[in-house]
Amino acid sequence: MNTSSRLLANWVILGLTLTFLIGPFLIIILAGASDTSYLAFPPEGLTLRWYLKVFTVESFRASFLLSMALAVFGTLAALLLGVPAAYALNRYALPGAETVRTVVAAPIIVPGIIVGLALLRYLVVPTGVTVTLALFMAHTALVLPYAVRVVSSSMHNLRADMEEAAVLLGCSRFQAFTKVVLPNIRGGVLAAFILGFVTSFNQVPVSLFLSGPGVRTLPIDMLAYMEITFDPSVAALSALLAFMSLAIVFVAERLLGFSRYV
Amino acid sequence: MFRNTREGLALALPAAIFSTLLFLVPVGILLSEAFRFEGGWSLQGYIDFFATPLNRTVFLRTLKLGALVAGTAAVIGYAAAFCIVNLGPRARGTVFGMVVLPLMISPVARTYAWIVILGRTGIVNEAITGLGLSDTPLRLLFTETAVFLGLLQLFLPLMIISLVSAMENIPRDVIPAARVLGASWLAVFFKVILPLTKEGLVIGGTLVFTGSLTAYITPAILGGSKVLMLETLLYQRVNVSNDFVSASVIAMILIVMSFSANLLLKKIASARS
Repeated sequence: MNTSSRLLANWVILGLTLTFLIGPFLIIILAGASDTSYLAFPPEGLTLRWYLKVFTVESFRASFLLSMALAVFGTLAALLLGVPAAYALNRYALPGAETVRTVVAAPIIVPGIIVGLALLRYLVVPTGVTVTLALFMAHTALVLPYAVRVVSSSMHNLRADMEEAAVLLGCSRFQAFTKVVLPNIRGGVLAAFILGFVTSFNQVPVSLFLSGPGVRTLPIDMLAYMEITFDPSVAALSALLAFMSLAIVFVAERLLGFSRYV
Repeated sequence: MFRNTREGLALALPAAIFSTLLFLVPVGILLSEAFRFEGGWSLQGYIDFFATPLNRTVFLRTLKLGALVAGTAAVIGYAAAFCIVNLGPRARGTVFGMVVLPLMISPVARTYAWIVILGRTGIVNEAITGLGLSDTPLRLLFTETAVFLGLLQLFLPLMIISLVSAMENIPRDVIPAARVLGASWLAVFFKVILPLTKEGLVIGGTLVFTGSLTAYITPAILGGSKVLMLETLLYQRVNVSNDFVSASVIAMILIVMSFSANLLLKKIASARS
């Protein structure tokens, strides 16, 4: 094969692959704009009414807020637990460090649906903890491995003698952490927050069993909604969520070179 | 390294304790449930589970779809990764970004697109009826093909990422050298590319396989109760028939597979470093 036909073949293969990966999004964007009361593609007439309707559906509003709160506070809690743990794993010769690492990473290995069911059966039912609290804890546990991993890797490059110098110069250990370590791992912590936020917000299986009257995360609510309704609003909402994720990742990439951390 | 162990533990333990209490303990109890039978311990739960034809079908289907998705992803992945590595640095960054991007988007949104494509009034059916190939729309949703396509779209990026990073490590001149020495492209692939990217293939394959095995949304939306997979079966067993023993068996199967995959990945990672 000569060079130009190789180049052509190259782009044909890439074009097909990217169409398969990205094409579906273009399709839902358009399907959400179809001026029909049922899902249609190609769209018949264009309208924004489904995109607007999404904001007026009461259950979407409630579940969006719940998902948002879970993603923000669950990730913050995971960072609160994860940053000290990552610090300790990097800076101290700990007995059983490997065990701590494994235990903290475990939520990645266990499928979310099992975690949700286990928490429902053995936490919510026997202790009477509210579903919302159980959801919050499940999402925290889910994000914790990412928090520890991302923060660890950004701490890895930070030399310990900087802190030691700060302590010698009169800082307390805590001050040395807040004044020397924290500013240096800021990027990693932010990246962990974004990764955790996106993971938690998009998470379905964990929340599947953890839902009660009026307590549903957004993805679960969408699953329930699409079982009874076939209008294009779920397509519109899917498109909006895709835009939201893309905007977050885009901003993160611009601000801190997000992809370095993930 | 600081030597003050107590201080270190005080920092590391909250996370470990949280994970243990909220995670390992409840999951452990759940897993033990299938081994309890009439007050004692037994494997009866497992025997009963696999004695049911539906359960066997679902188990085998899950493995089959997982393997099929991983295999297909490998074929497409090699072609795509090869093309990506051959691009100039700028184009490579852009294309790679476009491959990674879908991973950040809600799987519900990603799966829902297939309803638009494969549904009764979807693009494929419009084309089929429009061309007169069939008078009535075909049932494309709630088939294994639909689940297969959904899973492939969901997990293909993981395979491409693994293979691209494996191929970037192939020395530049090896492939042209093999060509000059008379190897056909097929021989180049099997004798040069494949051996040099074996690890990437295993990593990508495991990620795609376990991802497909433990996916819930895709089989739920595109398969429904017609094409159950292990996760959707688990959900059904709990919500429809309150059968926690089956749920516990399925949980064990999923965890064992996911865990062994993880061990494999760890082994590869440590062999490399």
